[in-house]
Amino acid sequence: MLTKLTGGRLFDPANGRHGEVADLWLRDDRVVTDPGPGATPDAAHDVTGKVVMAGAIDIHSHIAGGKVNLARLLMGEEHDRHRFAGHACGCGGGSGIATPSTHATGARYIEMGFTAAFEPAMLGSNARHAHLEMSDIPYIDTGGYLVLGNDDFLLDLIATNAGQSAVNDYVAWMLTATQSLAVKVVNPGGINAFKFNARKLDLDEAGPHYGVTPRSVLTVLARTVYELGLPHPLHVHGCNLGVPGNVATTLDTIRAAAGLPMHMTHIQFHSYDTAGDRKFSSGAAALAEAVNRTPTLSVDIGQVMFGQTVTASADTMAQRHTAPLAHPRKWLAMDIECDAGCGVVPFRYRDNSYVNALQWAIGLELFLLLDDPWRVFLTTDHPNGAPFTFYPELIRLLMDRDYRLAKLAEIHPDAPAHTTLGSITREYTLAEIAIMTRAAPARILGLADRGHLAPGASADVTVYSDLADRRAMFERPDLVFKSGRLVVRGGTLVAMASGCTHVVRPGFDDLIERRIARHFDERIGLPIKHFRIQDAEIRHGAGPQLHPCQRREVP
Amino acid sequence: MTFHPDTLCPFCGLGCGDIGIDLDESGITPRPTGCPQADRLFRRSAAVPTDARMDGNAVSMDDAIAEAARLLGTSAAPLIAGLAADVDGVLSALSLAERIGATVDHERSDALFRNLAVLRRFGWSVTTLAELRNRCDLVLVVGPDPATAFPRVWERWVAPEPALVPGGARSVVFLGGEPLPETVQCLGSRIEASGLGSDAGPDLAALVGRLRAALAGRTADGDPMTALASRLCAARYVVVIWAAGLFDNPQPDLIVEGLVRLIRNVDGTTRCAGLPLSGADNVIGANQACGWRTGFPLRTGFNAGAPLHDPERFDWRTRLCDADVTLWISAFRPEMPPFATGGSVIMLAPPELAVTTEPALFIPVGTPGIDHAGDVFRADSVVALHTGALIDRGLPSVAAVIGRILSVLAETADSKEEAEC
Repeated sequence: MLTKLTGGRLFDPANGRHGEVADLWLRDDRVVTDPGPGATPDAAHDVTGKVVMAGAIDIHSHIAGGKVNLARLLMGEEHDRHRFAGHACGCGGGSGIATPSTHATGARYIEMGFTAAFEPAMLGSNARHAHLEMSDIPYIDTGGYLVLGNDDFLLDLIATNAGQSAVNDYVAWMLTATQSLAVKVVNPGGINAFKFNARKLDLDEAGPHYGVTPRSVLTVLARTVYELGLPHPLHVHGCNLGVPGNVATTLDTIRAAAGLPMHMTHIQFHSYDTAGDRKFSSGAAALAEAVNRTPTLSVDIGQVMFGQTVTASADTMAQRHTAPLAHPRKWLAMDIECDAGCGVVPFRYRDNSYVNALQWAIGLELFLLLDDPWRVFLTTDHPNGAPFTFYPELIRLLMDRDYRLAKLAEIHPDAPAHTTLGSITREYTLAEIAIMTRAAPARILGLADRGHLAPGASADVTVYSDLADRRAMFERPDLVFKSGRLVVRGGTLVAMASGCTHVVRPGFDDLIERRIARHFDERIGLPIKHFRIQDAEIRHGAGPQLHPCQRREVP
Repeated sequence: MTFHPDTLCPFCGLGCGDIGIDLDESGITPRPTGCPQADRLFRRSAAVPTDARMDGNAVSMDDAIAEAARLLGTSAAPLIAGLAADVDGVLSALSLAERIGATVDHERSDALFRNLAVLRRFGWSVTTLAELRNRCDLVLVVGPDPATAFPRVWERWVAPEPALVPGGARSVVFLGGEPLPETVQCLGSRIEASGLGSDAGPDLAALVGRLRAALAGRTADGDPMTALASRLCAARYVVVIWAAGLFDNPQPDLIVEGLVRLIRNVDGTTRCAGLPLSGADNVIGANQACGWRTGFPLRTGFNAGAPLHDPERFDWRTRLCDADVTLWISAFRPEMPPFATGGSVIMLAPPELAVTTEPALFIPVGTPGIDHAGDVFRADSVVALHTGALIDRGLPSVAAVIGRILSVLAETADSKEEAEC
């Protein structure tokens, strides 16, 4: 199948193209060079004047696994109100906005021109479930980040000074066994400490039982990820999420990395200062300044948007503090398998609440004060800050200052005084949006053939009309191709497709397996072989897509 | 003869991964485990009839599939129940349900819904089996001994010394139920107290209420509940275990809600979590798959293509009365509950099943973990396990059979469309 897109303006920052007019050729599932005058395309689309980008990639979106499925159960009222029939193309129906069912998740993403989304909190003990769910999401590529840093096995390795190489082998073994793409740490040591009844744990506070500090968990794991040569740096959900004054902890965390690469996720929730009568203000300026001058650091925002959603997190410690604010008034918490935990708290962000309004403003402030779009990613921490379907609205807020100021005027009247948002004139360009949602995510995850449009790239392509209303533009692309197949036309699904699951597989010394096997027999109560996920289990036998790791030594 | 050690058991929901299986030309035999379910259900003969039956007469698989598609495709009020299958089987059943507008429910969903009712309106705080094994110093068992339904729960998860409890001490208290003799033998002196309010048919909701009153400081000093409340507050990590399926009381979800409130109260000062057990024949996996595919739990139907959930109206026992065609799926055990329906029944079950009333159509299927690989969920709902294949008896999986039915339905739809064009 040969497809030609004629006359579009290509926004392909990975290849230095920022709106140049060029034809784009797709053969089967790949972008190819112009096959020459003799070639006759099977399908030709005139996209003159339209904006052509690679498919967008969401690096942090809770779309699959135990906590998401529990959140669906808890959000019954919303699911009752939002039910969808299946589509003639074969995409099934479903329900939900903040916690859409699998087919609805794939459909909503592809309708917006996204061709990949990554589940950022996959517990080892729940990995098989997460993979079963991810393979039931049509259209988009997926992959999971393995949550480590609260598992009793790792804390025991650190507490007993087993050494960096033992930790490296354990992490590599776990990534392999759970078919993961990256490593995430959530409230390092804090979820474990909560199981021993600690209700808070600061960066330099020794946790109960193991006597290990969050700082040591963080630095050991950051070093492991670096030495194993994983493409994606350690994905960090820091300590003290949501606590006023936590920007100090976040700045300490940046310093703790000591030059090792690190990705700090949903930093909006970690950017709070304590100025003003309400002891709650924006710490965005200080944090943005620190990120700007630390080139080894990347961040995503976790933007808050107003409305009903649900927060789902492995951070049981933080979620217990949020629980009294639940809306509707119900919540659940879970301790999980000497591994981690999960907390699910429905939440409604209101623009007439001082705190929520400021959270919204802090997120935008961060987007606009961070000067390198290659190191900042568009996220709402779906569904924690807002459902991912708010991305087009968020893009408009970033690209349109007048619109932003109009919205700023609508929020709680005391909030604007405690942020710098009103004074920021920056407007994101289309090229910057293409970096932030395509080129940069592919690069930070090590997906060499995604996020760009050079020959050899996966034929994941989105075509937009260049509308002044950027929300309308990004809400409803004209054409979306997944692996070369036209799946969305004029905002409507026209064909079914499935993506693939991305994983890494750094090697490890087999000796570690004996120690892990003993742990499984004595503690977990399950022979190790039943924990390991085989390739044949991924996407009904299709197997995963492997990405190379390059071992490195810390200089 | 070959020996398969460490085989995974898919039956009760505890997910024991240590079953030894002997395989020879006559079939498979489990080495005794002390679990009556594994010992019985892993015993299968190699030679079984693999023919499908229509009204009791052997027919080819092609004919059986065509007849199933015809019955289901023309049904006005179809029901897909039993639903005892691996995750792939359940997902294919959901695709079929969406295609024909059927409602789905699992044979053993009663226990699940007693818990879900509370989860959905109130939330809860729960834990998993490995946390119980390693971290828990006080186990509070509420109601009948869960070992009735989960035979090795004490041996595997409570008898071992808890590695993360200093000194390794652990106590078990039974409230409103007596431990089985096997449980007493397994746990010995760890059973600190039993028989608290275990008179015949104890009012569990009232017992839980009394314990909550004691926690609030509203009981007298001599009341046994006062002492128990103190024990809960003094423990490091309390796990409250119940098997809601065994509750023989009116409004069992109110007992569960009382327990969740009690857990939340204790968890405010020390650590305390629940462990609601329900899970035989992959009912948890069926509910999980239904949750991610439709956004709703089991007892969901499809109305004009969109899912619709109703925990009362779509209970399979209720729907059986008005269903004109019932697809009954029971891949795990050659057993079925008594049921009566005025409609036709298509049965997907192991060939060993001795039917009481011959269904309109019987299609033999394999058992996940015996005849084919498949995923099942453990009773604590977090851990999914991949069971392997032990023996090839020429029996298809539920997913394979339903996949063929769906293909026939799609062909029929295509030819109809062409005819209309």
